[in-house]
Amino acid sequence: MKNWIKLTLIFTLLFYSLAGVAQQQRFPKPEFGTGYHQPTPVTPEPRALVLEYSDVVILLIVLSLASWLALRKRSRKGMLWLSVFTLLYFGFYRNGCICAIGSVQNVALTIFDPGYAISITTLLFFLLPLVFTLYFGRTFCAGACPLGAIQDLLIIKPLSFPDWLRKTLGLLPYLYLSLAVLFAATGTDFIICRYDPFVGIFRMDAPFHMVILGIAFLLMGMFVARPYCRFLCPYGVLLNWMSRFSKWHLAITPAACIQCKLCSDSCPFDAIDYPTDEKQIKNRIWGVNRFLFYALLIPIWILVGGYTGSKAHTWISKANSKVYLAELLITKPEVRNDDKNLDVQAFLSSGKSMETLVNEASVIRHKFYIGCWIAGGFMGLVIGMTLLSQVIYRRKEDYQPDKGNCYSCVRCISYCPVKK
Amino acid sequence: MENDAKLKLFLNIALVSGIFCLTVALLLLLNYMQMTKNKPLESKALTSLVKQLSQEPNSDELKQEIRDFDLLARKAYFNSQWQVKTGGYLLLFGAIVLAFALRVIIGLRSKIEEPDILDSNEMVGRLLTQRWVLLTGAILVILGLVASYASVDHLREYSVNDSSPNLKIADNRDKIEVIQVGQAPTVADSAKTSSVKPTVSLGSSLPVKVTQAPAVKVSFPGLAEIKSNVPSFRGPFGNGVFYQKETPVSWDAASGKNVIWKTPVPLKGYNSPIIWGTKLFLSGADNHSREVYCYERNTGKILWKQPVDKIKGSPEAAPKVTEDTGYSAPSLTTDGNRVYAMFATGDIICFDMDGNRIWARNLGVPDNHYGHASSLMMLKDKLFVQYDTNKSRKLIGLKASTGQTAWETQRKGKISWASPILAEINGKYQVVLSTDPMVAGYDADSGKELWSLNCMMGEVGPSPAFGSGLIFAANEYAKLVAIDPVKNVKVWESDEYMPEVASPVTANGLLFIATSYGVIACYDAKSGQKYWVKEDGTGFYSSPVIVDNKLYTFNTAGKMKVFEVGKTEKILGEGDAAEKVTTTPAFKDGRMYLRTPKFIYCIGKK
Repeated sequence: MKNWIKLTLIFTLLFYSLAGVAQQQRFPKPEFGTGYHQPTPVTPEPRALVLEYSDVVILLIVLSLASWLALRKRSRKGMLWLSVFTLLYFGFYRNGCICAIGSVQNVALTIFDPGYAISITTLLFFLLPLVFTLYFGRTFCAGACPLGAIQDLLIIKPLSFPDWLRKTLGLLPYLYLSLAVLFAATGTDFIICRYDPFVGIFRMDAPFHMVILGIAFLLMGMFVARPYCRFLCPYGVLLNWMSRFSKWHLAITPAACIQCKLCSDSCPFDAIDYPTDEKQIKNRIWGVNRFLFYALLIPIWILVGGYTGSKAHTWISKANSKVYLAELLITKPEVRNDDKNLDVQAFLSSGKSMETLVNEASVIRHKFYIGCWIAGGFMGLVIGMTLLSQVIYRRKEDYQPDKGNCYSCVRCISYCPVKK
Repeated sequence: MENDAKLKLFLNIALVSGIFCLTVALLLLLNYMQMTKNKPLESKALTSLVKQLSQEPNSDELKQEIRDFDLLARKAYFNSQWQVKTGGYLLLFGAIVLAFALRVIIGLRSKIEEPDILDSNEMVGRLLTQRWVLLTGAILVILGLVASYASVDHLREYSVNDSSPNLKIADNRDKIEVIQVGQAPTVADSAKTSSVKPTVSLGSSLPVKVTQAPAVKVSFPGLAEIKSNVPSFRGPFGNGVFYQKETPVSWDAASGKNVIWKTPVPLKGYNSPIIWGTKLFLSGADNHSREVYCYERNTGKILWKQPVDKIKGSPEAAPKVTEDTGYSAPSLTTDGNRVYAMFATGDIICFDMDGNRIWARNLGVPDNHYGHASSLMMLKDKLFVQYDTNKSRKLIGLKASTGQTAWETQRKGKISWASPILAEINGKYQVVLSTDPMVAGYDADSGKELWSLNCMMGEVGPSPAFGSGLIFAANEYAKLVAIDPVKNVKVWESDEYMPEVASPVTANGLLFIATSYGVIACYDAKSGQKYWVKEDGTGFYSSPVIVDNKLYTFNTAGKMKVFEVGKTEKILGEGDAAEKVTTTPAFKDGRMYLRTPKFIYCIGKK
């Protein structure tokens, strides 16, 4: 056994040392006689392909371990240490990039931009957590997500939120997802990465406002458990969908629930469903009529959402640098003489005509028009479905995790007196 | 350790780490505020010192002061960066300790709590959820609609006419004056030339027309008419031979000898004058504006000048060009009905003879590391553009009446700065181009390549010449070659004297070249036998031309030498422009027209 461990260690060291050679610059950086050292770039340097694949392998191992710890081992301690590893490796070592959450944008861009091809590693980072979630629940959130890990480790005194607030704030991830896909599909920006509040902490380098945002999230996270995961994470939307259909999801009790209620307050994320109160169902103040009403409203919500989105497309598309530049040059032509405006100067020195710029910007704006129709329609659908879900009752016998929102963090298990 | 002791310990740890985090955070905030306020890299003091240096460029003390100040500013900046980074790590460390201590404290204080009673108001909760979701939906819709009404789609409002406010012509450029040179002054009188009075001050009264001329059917000039004018760079068909008589062989710009008039040219340009009837055309440009000028050939008055702007596809800013090529190196061309000009921006424009704009288009900004230089050439209803760029090489035939592309021939080879010439071969006109690696002939009607011979290399500047049934081409570091275009064979070649910019010229069975290192050489056109060589000492960019059996040469110092077109060297006369000359003169009705960096001269017998 010891030999086996030694061999593994030697192999790992050899692998990383060889990988280090592979990722050397093709043209080495110049050395200065004065002893000046070139600063490290703010964004991570390109990674050797072999190391990118090793990231995928590590993700696969972490996901497998997280699923095993949640479903078989049922160990909170194990999950905690796994999330510490994830935070150190994917967070501080890999600087928060590559990341499954941001990969949503790469997928969107590769679908809508024929000139962009997603790398296999990014695609795997997008797909693997979804596949694992489909089988084992959101074990990715529990042990393999550095953003989740940093927030999870700082939960001090979580507050419980009422349903109406959680459901209302729960609309934000859908909105964020819509905008992230829209911006990525139009080639505007990767807003998930740009406004990732924790990446600045991982890299120890970020714009001041992002540092403040990251600290604010962490401070908030002491009392509002995982605020980013619950009320912003766009990838969480997809994981939520997958987890609802997960084949083997974490259960609070390994056997029959004895209805002791000990676990009822154990979840800092309010992701435990209580048994259905039959009296309330019998005395419900609305019935099939409201269900039908909300169901019929869904197409109207979609249309209203789509229309509103399409109306807002002009404003939203200003986020695109090309559209912004074109409009700036049209409305403030004197900006051409501003030597400090690098975007304007870069355009002027490109030899491109104003018509070309305006045409390109118009094409992008039209893409926004279509995209805003879709994004608005999607938000309408989400609102319609959320309303409908409020008049649907599913009978629940026991205390059990809300499969969509449960992060499989295994906290609740330790509260359950039933061990076998 | 007992629970109470543990609790006390971790409370202290939490307190110390909390104070530590707060202090570090405060220091970081102060550092940030200080950096935002002071901005050491954008120091005003440094900027003012740099400005001062531009006034006192030789002040070593000032230079040292700037260096010291710059070093200080950089040190301050990087010091602050180090503080931010170190502070960040310290804060992270403190936060980890604090979080760990707090977790332990919470753990130690935690008790088994009685489970909450089930929420008995689930219905109310659901109702509340529905209300809040509806409210959120309504807020999103309202926000979307407000955003819609608060934003204007400026892209839709845009039209070509809105663009390029920077293309306005500066007022001082409008003040063009024609200087009438006095009666054949002698050298001793040269000082007086500076006090010659302007006879006409055109000022803002220049006709700047923007109206489009009505489409009229035009007739094409015949051969005799073409030969009696200067329709393009290097005369009729671009061949360097002018069919004129009694041209001047001596003049002097400083003294005014034989200078009939000289007029300033508003904007710089390396294009050479073209002439039709009494009108002479030039163009000028800088990185902001482009213009076409029409002068009255006999008086030097500017009849009209027109801006070249508001062209769809024209770049917002002029591309980078070298100083010795500029933005208007291509010479214009005319058929007597209209005049055509092209610029380094890829703009090509057509005016009628009265300055009414007929059409304009942009062919795409030429990717040219010196700047586009190939002059225009035309025959009947076709305007030929040698559109060579680093990306692609084309010969484009435009419909002269509309500017539409009649045909476009993709060419092999590399970018060239030479200009097209027309050669009548076997009764049909061919457009002949010289580039690396080949000299080639193209059908003037269809643009189809008829023949091609690999014999050139390098960055080809000199245009080819046609005479004695042969095509002559040359380039520095390549060869001087004579090609039989019918048989597509090289007849002879020489690698002794080769021009860099000036084109060869041939007449009466003789071939002349002028090199950039100051040699004029005469060869037998058919055999390549060298007859004579004249070492001038100063190089030639201006192409030698032949008029009335005389070879006119201008070296870059502006000295003119006129040789007899013969097998022996014989100087017939000399002249001096007293400034740099790189353009090629034009001849009409016994007068020579020469462009210098600032003026256009008319030289002839008074």
